[in-house]
Formats: sequence, C-alpha cells, structure tokens
Amino acid sequence: MALLEISGLTRNFGGLRAVSNLSFTVAAGEILGLIGPNGSGKTTIFNLITGFLSPTMGDIRLDNENIVGLKPYAVTRRGITRTFQIVKPFPHLTVRENAALAALVRLGDRAKADAEAVRALKQVGLADKLDIPASDLTLGDQKRMEIARALATGPKLLLLDEPLGGLNPREMEDACGLIEHIHATGITVILVEHVMKAIMRISHRVVVIRQGEKIAEGPPAQVVSDPAVISAYFGKRVA
Amino acid sequence: MKRALPPIITGILLLCIPLMVSNQFLLHLGIIVLMWTVLGVSWNLLGGYAGQVSFGHASFFGVGAYTTMILYLSFGLAPWYGMALGGIMGALLSLPIGFICFRLRGPYFSLATLAVAEIVRLVALNWEQLTHGPMGLLITTLPVVTLFGEPINWERKGPFFLIVAVIALSAMFATYLLARARLGSYLLAIREDEDAAESIGINTTRAKVSALALSAFFTGLAGGFYGMYFRYVDPDAVFPISLSIEMVFIAVVGGLRTIAGPVVGAVFLTTIAELVRERFEVGHLIFYGLFMMLVIRYLPDGIWGRVLRLFTPQR
Amino acid sequence: METFFQSLVNGILTGTLYAMIGVGLTVIFGVMRIINLAHGDMVMLGMFGAYWSYTLWKIDPFVSALLLVPLLFIAGMLAYRFLLKAIIPGGELNTLLYTAGLSLLIANLALFAWTGDYRTLNLAYAEVPLRPYGIAVPVPLAIAFGLAVLITVALYFFLARTDTGRAVRATSQNAEAAALMGINVENISMITFGLGAALAAAAGVLLVPSLYLYPTVGEILIVKCFVIVVLGGLGSVPGAIAGGILLGVVESYGAVYVSVAYKDTIGFIIFLLVLLFRPQGLFGARQA
Repeated sequence: MALLEISGLTRNFGGLRAVSNLSFTVAAGEILGLIGPNGSGKTTIFNLITGFLSPTMGDIRLDNENIVGLKPYAVTRRGITRTFQIVKPFPHLTVRENAALAALVRLGDRAKADAEAVRALKQVGLADKLDIPASDLTLGDQKRMEIARALATGPKLLLLDEPLGGLNPREMEDACGLIEHIHATGITVILVEHVMKAIMRISHRVVVIRQGEKIAEGPPAQVVSDPAVISAYFGKRVA
Repeated sequence: MKRALPPIITGILLLCIPLMVSNQFLLHLGIIVLMWTVLGVSWNLLGGYAGQVSFGHASFFGVGAYTTMILYLSFGLAPWYGMALGGIMGALLSLPIGFICFRLRGPYFSLATLAVAEIVRLVALNWEQLTHGPMGLLITTLPVVTLFGEPINWERKGPFFLIVAVIALSAMFATYLLARARLGSYLLAIREDEDAAESIGINTTRAKVSALALSAFFTGLAGGFYGMYFRYVDPDAVFPISLSIEMVFIAVVGGLRTIAGPVVGAVFLTTIAELVRERFEVGHLIFYGLFMMLVIRYLPDGIWGRVLRLFTPQR
Repeated sequence: METFFQSLVNGILTGTLYAMIGVGLTVIFGVMRIINLAHGDMVMLGMFGAYWSYTLWKIDPFVSALLLVPLLFIAGMLAYRFLLKAIIPGGELNTLLYTAGLSLLIANLALFAWTGDYRTLNLAYAEVPLRPYGIAVPVPLAIAFGLAVLITVALYFFLARTDTGRAVRATSQNAEAAALMGINVENISMITFGLGAALAAAAGVLLVPSLYLYPTVGEILIVKCFVIVVLGGLGSVPGAIAGGILLGVVESYGAVYVSVAYKDTIGFIIFLLVLLFRPQGLFGARQA
C-alpha cells in the first residue's frame, strides 16, 4: 500500500489552474522526483500536501488517512515535513536551537530534544557549527540545517523543495549523498529539483508536471526520453 | 537558586516600601510606575515574545476597569475580587479578538487590533445602559477590610502600592515562567518565522491565542486596579488609542523580550511624564514620541536590551 | 426620498475629501511599503496652516493652499531623507512604530503650541448653502469637492503621463526591477513621501472649513484613512478614491438610518471584514 496517495488534486487561483486533476502515489521507502518547468506548480503541490494551501478539489491520503483540511502543524505531526525553496531559518537562534525546537515539539523534554537535535545535525554534517547563529551560516549550510530541523521532527515522509538550488558542484555532491543517506534510514522522500543529474542519480521514480498537470511518470531513464517531457522542456520541434 | 536571589530580594524590598515611605506623592508616583510596569510587561508577553504588535490592548484594560466598577456598583462585589474577574473578562474578550486578528500578519495584524479596540471603545461610549456612556462610573467609598484587627485606610496610598506591586511581581513571574515553558519556545519560533514554526509542528494559532489571553488577563487586572485606585472610569480614560500606543512604547523603549525591559521602560517614561507634568502641565507625550523614534533608530533592543548587551560576552 | 439623496450627496462630498487623505497614504505605501501613522497629523498641519493663515492674515484657505502644499511637500521630502530612510531597512513593523512615535511627537507639539481647544473656521461665504435641486450643499464643501477633483485629475496626469510619475508607478510595482531599469529608487521614494505629505496638506486645507480642528484630530483621521486604504487596496490610487467615497456614503447613510452614535463603528467593522476576507481590498493586487 502506498504511503502517500494523491488523487484528482486540483487547485485554482481565481481563473488560474495551478494544479489540475493530479494523481500519483508514493510508496514507502522510495525517493520520488518531482520535476517540471518553472511555474509548473511543484511548490504549490508541496503547499497542498502540507496544508499551507487547501485544494479546490481532490484527495490526499497518508497511510490511507485523509489529511486534506489539516493545518500545517497537524500534517507535520502526522509525519510529513517539508523544507522551503527559499530557506526559512530561525535567524537569531543558533543552529542547535533551530533543530532542538523542532525536536521539542515532538518529544516535549528539553534534554531529549537537544540530544535529538545534535543527532540530526551530525547526520547532515553540521556537528562543528552547533552554536553559530543560523543567520551567520552560508546558504549551503542553512539548507543543511533546514534538513536537520525537518529530520528532528521524526518524519515518515520528507518533502525537499529544491535543496540543491544555489549550491556549488561540491556542495551538490554532498547534498545528494545526504539525501541517499536519509533514505537509507527508512524515510520516504519527495524531491523537487531542477538539477537533472541529481534527479537521475537519486530518484527511483519520477513524476513530471507541466502547467499543473502530470505528463509523465516512471523510472528516470524512461521519463527523460519521453517525447512529451522533452517537448515540455525544449519545445515541440526538438522532440 | 543563586540566580533567583537578586529578583527575590528586589521583590521583597519593593513590598516593604510602603512600610518605609510615607510621602504620599512618592507613593503615588510609585503606584503609577508600577501600573505602567504591569501594562508594559503584559503587552510584552504578546508583543515581545510572540512578535505580534498589538495596538489595541486598551480594550482589555478598559474591560477590566469597567468590569470591576460595574460589579462593585451594581452587585456590591468587592473590587479586589472584581479586579480578578476583570482580568478574566479581559482574557475572555481576547479570544474572539485573537480569532479575528490572528488571521493577519505583521502590520495588518496591528491595524486590525487598532480597529477592534476602537469598536470596543465606541460600544462602551454608546452603551449607556451598561456603562453610563461618557459620564463614566464613580466609586465613592471602598468596602471596609480589616487586616490584623485594623481596618485598612483606603485614603492612604500605602495599601494600593502593595496591591499593584503584587500584581506587577506576578506579571513578571508569569513572564519568567512563560519564557521557560515550551510555550515560550514556541512563541520565539513564531516570532522568528511563523511559517517555519508551523512547519515543524507548532500550533501557531493556539500559541498566539494563549499568549494573547495571558497578556489580556494581566492588562485587565491592571484595569481593575485602575478603577479601584482612581475610583472613576470613563471611556476616554480607559479605552483611548493613546493608551494602547503608550503600552507599546513602554515595552519597545524598555526592551522587548526581556522581563526587566518593560520595567525600565515604565520607570523611564513615567518619570519623564511626571517631571514634564510638573513643569509644563502637558507635553509628556512629546517625549514618548521622541524617545520612541530615538530608540528605534539607535537602540533597537531597547534601553535594557542595550544594557544587557554591554554585559554579555559576544558569541 | 429627499433624505436619501441628501445623504448620498453628503456622503460623496465628504467621501471625496476622505479620499484625498487616503490617496496620500496609499501612494506612500505603494512605493515604499511604509504605513505612515503620522499621515493624519500631516493633514492636521495642513488644517492648522490654513486656519492660522485665515485667522491672522485673512487669507482664504483655498488660497493659502498654494503655499502650504509645496511647503509640506518639501517637509515630507526632508522627513524621508533625514528621518525615515535609516529606519526602513529595519523592517515594516519597526517603521510602523517609528511613524507612530513621529505621529505622537507632531500631534503633541501642536497640542503644546496651540492648546487642545476645538476650533472652527467660519468663512463668510459659508453661511448660506447652495441648493441645487433642493439639496443643501455647503459652499466650502462644494469648492473643496471641485478642487479635490482637480487635484485627482492632476495626480492622474502626473502618474500616467510624466516620466517621474511613471517612475513612481514602476517603483511601486517592483522596486528591484525599477532600480535595474535605471530609476533612482531613493529619489523616487523621497519624492513620493513629499507627494504624500503634500496631498495630506491639501486634504487638510480642503477639510478645514468643514471640520472641527484640534491638534489630535490626526488620530481619528488616520484610522478612517486606513479603512479607506484597506477597502480600496493598499497601494491603489483609484482604490483609495473609491474607498473614500464608499466610506463617506456608508457613514452618511449609517448616521441617518442606523444611529449617529455608531456610524464610526460601521466603518471599522467593514475594515475588519475586508482585512479578513479580501485583504487585497476591492482593487488591490493579490500579494504572492
């Protein structure tokens, strides 16, 4: 049975159809890549899943339980945590405090939360920067911190919104390794990304979105040679 | 335990003041300072810790004042109980207000609180059956209370000083407890980034509403005290926009998100106000405005915040 | 039926003056994202300027406007350059608090200088109202309405047809893009703030024959101003005009058909409803 089931998901903004009759599933333990040209609705999909937006129509089920209508904090408590396309650290708090807060919500005890935070931060490779204020970090480190913060909430499903944006090639390598490592601990991942190399390397399956609609789905190699996908990115004549 | 010693000693000293000082004017000054301290500290719970700047706290103050007065004048309930109920009424009023206003963020939230407070003021002004409208409510005598066999002399300032000092200390203690509790951390997260806070599982609405209710409770309590001390309330005295704004100023000038900040702000601004009143009769608000501008420009952490930074080592 | 039309006319006339106040505030917000809480006090300064010009030197307010408006334009520019510019990087809330302090400062300096007495300006020609079609229209209000329309048209031409005006609109739509196109955003901001202050002064002059004048009148005006600007959509000039007229009409009908006492409340309730259900206002652009 699928961990996450999306069926008929639609979201309109006035006359604009941002997401249109979208259906796909995510199996437990897989890494699903979500790709598509800019403005195709990928972040909107994340916002819909996590409750920051409510769907005009459609169903979202986690472990066969309907989560439509839940507020974002409730969705997180059910086991889905997201990162943001533009990082949102708690700027005046230290790296440690950022992650500890997330753990505190789940664990309730400050000492346990701190231990959990340190564990998550070690996992992402920020163990040597624990007491630096978050606003002093580089973008790459801030993204890693946001991932650690998400991990500290103990998610079943992690939604990563363009984690590689703005990173140099070396940082991208490390980030890919990190995502694979997270996957190895049993967390399911949906990855929105533009960096094709990363998507090809990490994803088990890929869903391609264009103007809010799914136009292709399948293993990375298959999807990349799909004419509909090629025309979406490069125009009809190249396909 | 060692860290708690200075505040505890200060608290005890504060409570001893009425026993040592008999100058009625000085005691009155102290009472005013303490009352504004309560207002600054309560506002700070929402404004400093949660980062939600309310321009409408006068509505809770006024509701507390009127509750106390009405319960005493119409039902004979002694003002000290009325005060507590005034605080509760303030907290209750904050629930629908929070429900409406928390849908908005930042300056829009602030403007909404302003509008709501004005609505409350206009209702109080016009609902003459309940509030006597612009004529206000007057208490002539306070009930007789005996303490250790002696009736309390309500004509002297001493007893009032003690009461407001206790309220002030409670408000500061409540702030301290809040900061240490999980709710305090949640509010901090909300202040830093509300969406991120929501995304790590914090029920931001509930946290904000809780902070507002606590803040409104103490503000209402102060309102009740105001009624008891001045024995006269009217809508212009307890519901005006300027009162809400002064509360904001005291907390901002003193230093947000510290326990002592609003105290410093209250002492500083009230002292200036009284000095100016001595010399010029009007115009203390000129200095409030001026200091607000100076603080935001040069001391964004407030006076106390700046002082604290002088003493803590740089990270 | 006559009451219906009289109320409508009253509402539109007053509403147009409200709109003048609102336009100044919305233009400032549109370009700089500043909510200027001192705006009402700038109106008050315009009112007092006209009042003193008349009381001391017998200059008709509509004439003294010719001096007061440019004066406040310059004052506004200076206020931006020397006071506000340094504050803006601190964020919207900080700026809001700063202008709150400024408002208090201005209003109370005025209070100190001129006392809190309520004053009125009794113009000789205000005695007998005009009576077109049997509806009473006070002469100063009619003149003010005419001038307000003129000013609005002039503003339209400024924003639509002049280079500076277009630069103002561009900056309000996207400051970063405007800067990239070579627009000096700092200068535009300064000019816009001056413009907002000038419009406030103009509104004050137009209002003074028709309203009670006292130093803290800014408090009520700023709150009404927000209702207007939020109704119309923060940043939208046509919105502010529509919002102003709407508020004027609603208050007018509210006073007659609901209750004089609660007429102000109606405005606030509408304000809250709009903030809650359509925060971009009736004409505003939806924020991303």
